[in-house]
Amino acid sequence: MAGASQSRLVEGDTTATDAVAGATVGLSAVLFALAVAAMFDRVSLTGTVAGLPTVTLLGGLLTGLGVAVAVFGLGSRFGYVETEPDASAGLIASAGAAVPWVVVGGGVASETLGLGTVGGVVGGVLVGGLAFVGTAVPREDVGSTVPLGALLAFVGAVFLTGTIGPAWLWDLGWEQQASITAEFLVPVATLFCALYGGWAAAKAYGRFGARGRHMGAYVLVYLNALSIVAFLFVLIAFVVVKGIPGLLNGVRVGAGVGPQVFGAFELPVSLPFVTNGVALLNDFQGVLPAIVGTVWLVVGAVLFAVPLGVGAAVFLTEYAERGRFTQAVEVATNGLWSTPSIVFGLFGFAFLVPRFGNRKSLLAGMLTLGFMLLPLVLITSREAMLSVPDEYRDASAALGVSKWQTVRSVVLPAALPGVMTGVILGVGRIAGETAPILLTMAGGTFVPGGQTVDVLGGFEFTGSPPFVANPELLQATSALPYQLYALITAGVGLGSNVADPDGFRWATALVLLLVVLSFYAIGIGARYYFRQRLRYD
Amino acid sequence: MSDSQQTQTQTRTTGSDQPLETTSGETVEETKSEWVAYDFQGEAKLVAEDLDVYYGGDHALKGVSMEIPEESVTALIGPSGCGKSTYLRCLNRMNDRISAARVEGSVQLDGKEVYQDGVNLVELRKRVGMVFQSPNPFPKSIRDNISYGPRKHGDIDTGLLARVLGRDDGEAERELVERSLKQAALWDEVHDRLDDNALGLSGGQQQRLCIARCLSVDPEVILMDEPASALDPIATAKIEDLIDDLAEEYTVVIVTHNMQQAARISDQTAVFLTGGKLVEYGDTEKIFENPESQRVEDYITGKFG
Repeated sequence: MAGASQSRLVEGDTTATDAVAGATVGLSAVLFALAVAAMFDRVSLTGTVAGLPTVTLLGGLLTGLGVAVAVFGLGSRFGYVETEPDASAGLIASAGAAVPWVVVGGGVASETLGLGTVGGVVGGVLVGGLAFVGTAVPREDVGSTVPLGALLAFVGAVFLTGTIGPAWLWDLGWEQQASITAEFLVPVATLFCALYGGWAAAKAYGRFGARGRHMGAYVLVYLNALSIVAFLFVLIAFVVVKGIPGLLNGVRVGAGVGPQVFGAFELPVSLPFVTNGVALLNDFQGVLPAIVGTVWLVVGAVLFAVPLGVGAAVFLTEYAERGRFTQAVEVATNGLWSTPSIVFGLFGFAFLVPRFGNRKSLLAGMLTLGFMLLPLVLITSREAMLSVPDEYRDASAALGVSKWQTVRSVVLPAALPGVMTGVILGVGRIAGETAPILLTMAGGTFVPGGQTVDVLGGFEFTGSPPFVANPELLQATSALPYQLYALITAGVGLGSNVADPDGFRWATALVLLLVVLSFYAIGIGARYYFRQRLRYD
Repeated sequence: MSDSQQTQTQTRTTGSDQPLETTSGETVEETKSEWVAYDFQGEAKLVAEDLDVYYGGDHALKGVSMEIPEESVTALIGPSGCGKSTYLRCLNRMNDRISAARVEGSVQLDGKEVYQDGVNLVELRKRVGMVFQSPNPFPKSIRDNISYGPRKHGDIDTGLLARVLGRDDGEAERELVERSLKQAALWDEVHDRLDDNALGLSGGQQQRLCIARCLSVDPEVILMDEPASALDPIATAKIEDLIDDLAEEYTVVIVTHNMQQAARISDQTAVFLTGGKLVEYGDTEKIFENPESQRVEDYITGKFG
């Protein structure tokens, strides 16, 4: 009980053990990364990594990690490594160690040994119970390393011996012919083993005890955050890689090759996919009408929803007495925000479309999406205004400034960043929304460039009230999410003008992603600007 | 009035349900009308008569009558929950902002009743400014903090339209900002960074900025609700010096927990004790050296409160 008797403030000469434990943590991080890469097919299971077959390499690393962790724990137990372990690893760690062993025990008993379902359950409970006891009963340094180290070594050995190789397949024998393949099992098993190994290694690195628990939790949280970022990155990279060829189809760079802007000046880049529609005689086809349609949709929805939402929030927070009424409004807005988008679409279809020329139109789509955006703008604006300190309102009132002027000059500027957050979130949702525009605005699958909506140029004066009309707003037009949906359901070969429909789809998806992200960028930039004006540093 | 109070004293308990006993154990009268009838030289700026305030069912201020002389510093002292802040907030009707508050009685500013229908609250609060316990500058530039009030009252217009029409009051604004900040003894410290956000100032500077902001609308009375309680001793000393200077032009009413502060800066002191009653009011020197009320003496010497 070297560690239990005394605790030291400054560690002694422990650099060697530190290095071993640190390297073990690093090894588990490498395994984690390899597992994620294998899961997304970035590393082939049948291929080789660094000259070794992938599965063999994974197995070897897992075994090494498991042995290292277990040896560290035993070394601590027998006094070769100075640590400060608690009496037990605790209930949660025990349960955590039991779960994978239940899976392993059950699988081995029912399948490998052929004992059937009952045998599988019994085997799982037995092995899992053993792991639980093995974690909970011994001192912390043994409990949190040996069962997990054994698990890692076991899984590694299964990979190493080729019991589960790249071609392994477990036919579940269900009617649906479901089966578990090595491509799924190997990365997942490696991922979880790497997490367990990393946790145990980090505890060892922290010398167990309170500091060890801290290190273990730190590694788990860090890997968790990392994998979320990695997932996002993989998703975007996937769309970009698939979409880039279609997007860059026919791209030219050079002086004067691009389309004219402002009459005379010519852009130095020509990107037919975003500047063309689809037409028989086009060299390269594009989705310009859908891009313009999406932008106008979002602009229209924001112009409709933001004044209404912010106005309602001002009334609810600054003017209305807090009571039944405001509570009812709150419940209603929350409910409205969780309403499925197809219901909004149906509302637009049944209520708005008949009122705007009885056909699907840009205006109907704008208003439908505006209604969808409204509750979120209201909720977030209200939250933002409630969080403006009452001291500002008191100070303003004490200067004799009226309520409305206070709201306009103090409350709203202070609440603007919060309002912007709501608009950003809302725009992110509505810009990619397919169902409502399917019912209210739908365009075509391959839309000719001539159908590009020109809202600003569409305004015209008329001889009778309301004296201004805009037929463009009442036209059906296309938007990116709907066009993508139409492209996918249309099947291959429908657009004879489009040589590579698959590339066209991916490029459309990429453009949709870019449009939504650029709306985000604008919103975040605006929020940063408003926030900067409120802050002093 | 004093008769009824004497009879009351036998039976009633105060807001905190404490019998009116001194440390020596004998039951004493709560207050007498002559203890609160302060006879001063000069004009009364603010006159409160039989002021009662209720927060819902809670009777927070009980029949306070008090005359505040102009161009002087009046300190309101007393233990927490004694109603002194409530009284202060009656003087510019800030209690109106609390929906549960109900005010009865009368407050007169220069002889004009404040609590009557048709009072212009904008005008009242321009004339009776207020500085709060914790510094609360707006999250705007120092300049905008000062010019906020005058701009909203239309005294200064630097908007786009005004600039286009050539009616820009930029020069007037600069003068106003400089004058207010100098009055608040802040000009030397911030004159080279007027466009910086006011939240970047230190706590003491922020509080002086709030005083400058209050001065910018040219008030006659300045109400201060424990203006130095959130500040360190050096910043407190600066605020106290400032209050001293302000008393030459303005009527200052200040609530404070700090009895030394009240003794240092005020010309007259009003003592509120538990239950929302004004117990004694008079020259600061007299209150601190020779109070009439045994309870006030106990409070001031630290035996009670």
